[in-house]
Amino acid sequence: MEWWQALLVAFLYYFSDAPFFFGEGYYVLQRPVVAGLLVGLVMGNPVQGAIIGATINLIYLGHLNVGGSMPSDMALAGYLGTAFALSANVPVEAALALAVPLGILGTVVWFGRMSLCSFFAHWADSFAAKGNVKGVMLMNWLPAQVMLFVFKMALVFTAGYFGSTLVSSFLNSIQGSGVLHGLEVVGGLLPALGIGLNLRAILKKETMPFLLVGFLLVAYFKISIIGVSLFGLVFALIYLYYTKEEKEESLDVE
Amino acid sequence: MSSEVVLNVAAAPETELKLTKKDVRRSYWLWQFFSHANYNYERMQGTSFAMAMAPILEKLYKSKDDLIKGLQRHLVFFNTNPNVGTLIHGAVIAMEEKRANGAEITDESINAVKTGLMGPLAGIGDTIDQGILIPLIVALGISLAKDGNILGSLIVLIGLPIVLMLISYNCWMAGYRLGTDAVTTLLSGGRMKRLIGAASILGCTVMGGLISAYVTCTTKVAFAVGQSQFDLQTQLFDAILPNLLPLAVTLGVYAVLKNGKYNSLVVMLVITVAGFVLGLLNIL
Repeated sequence: MEWWQALLVAFLYYFSDAPFFFGEGYYVLQRPVVAGLLVGLVMGNPVQGAIIGATINLIYLGHLNVGGSMPSDMALAGYLGTAFALSANVPVEAALALAVPLGILGTVVWFGRMSLCSFFAHWADSFAAKGNVKGVMLMNWLPAQVMLFVFKMALVFTAGYFGSTLVSSFLNSIQGSGVLHGLEVVGGLLPALGIGLNLRAILKKETMPFLLVGFLLVAYFKISIIGVSLFGLVFALIYLYYTKEEKEESLDVE
Repeated sequence: MSSEVVLNVAAAPETELKLTKKDVRRSYWLWQFFSHANYNYERMQGTSFAMAMAPILEKLYKSKDDLIKGLQRHLVFFNTNPNVGTLIHGAVIAMEEKRANGAEITDESINAVKTGLMGPLAGIGDTIDQGILIPLIVALGISLAKDGNILGSLIVLIGLPIVLMLISYNCWMAGYRLGTDAVTTLLSGGRMKRLIGAASILGCTVMGGLISAYVTCTTKVAFAVGQSQFDLQTQLFDAILPNLLPLAVTLGVYAVLKNGKYNSLVVMLVITVAGFVLGLLNIL
């Protein structure tokens, strides 16, 4: 990896959790399917980048961050994982070998950030006590973002620039061995975790039949995800039309 | 604290203080951009709520004392879903506006609205966006990008923010228009329950499809039965139901998570180690 590529990847990783993209970092920029394309552009291979990103993203399908807990940092897995895989020029499955440990490592960054940013809330308090509106507003982003920028740039630049040769030789050494097949199996199983986490939030006894219908539609007829979504939409509409509310009372308050 | 804080209501101004649509919209954008800029364990989105309210408070409260109290009022712990939860921000802006015009609204009642609504709206919002909308759009993106179509990545990069901002903007404005009471009734009413029910049906159908499409688990185990081979995968599992093993694995993971004894990190490590070892042994 060239120094400027490592620098850009590091910046993209910082930017993916920064507020400056309409505040949609966690929901959008951190998804590996997006990270893959952006890193691919930096590395001069956007299509392969998107493919690797999409594969890594499968692990985090249905990833939920509830109440500020982060089960895994998919941004580090997506940005640094894609960059390593592209510079080593290895098959897509090998990228998973990097994504899983990187994702777990990334949670350390998250916990550190969640702890340290508490200080800046107290700085905001002291501006509030003086009635300084600008100060309160600035304390919500400036100190935290300066800290995160410096730390994340240093971390990912160092890892990307100095680590890529090491990672490449590791990835090339596992080529053709059973290790790669083992990782492939892991990559096939891990989407079950994301989906399981998701189902914990939305699955109930009453919606179980719909889960099974979606499953069977793809298992037997191999229809696309867009197709399944359209079926789901129809089921949802049927439910809405055939369940009447007892009373319309609370609806027209205004 | 001085004695007049007891009622804690700003003196009624002579002319009515009115927020313009521009004020409310500016506050919305401050939240949209900076809701997690200083996310932390102590206050969560507390400083972000204060940032979004700051220009509103500056316009409404002319006395320095009221302004300071206002800023402090909104610097407390706050955490909700940043998209659907904006119903709260809208409603609170409406409360502050009334209060600045002399209505008897105490600190406690503003706090009660925030803390009372943030939990339920976090639940509803996380179900709608992280539970249903995002997996739907991301899965769509993955299915295209995996085959080398960069449109898949672009759908997530461009389409998803638009969808989410349509939700957060409209909830923000609805909260401001409707006010606290209406928001509370809306949440407890039957319509909300039915909408979430419908959304869950859509979400569960898609999740079921994703199990079939993206969870991969096949066994390589085969027995010699007399003269011929008995292949466990093709002759047993596939014969019963295609993708039987992925379904079993996913529902197994779900059951373990639902049980709550093990957190997701432990489950991830177990899947990783077990899958790797079974793969090396050529069982999977």
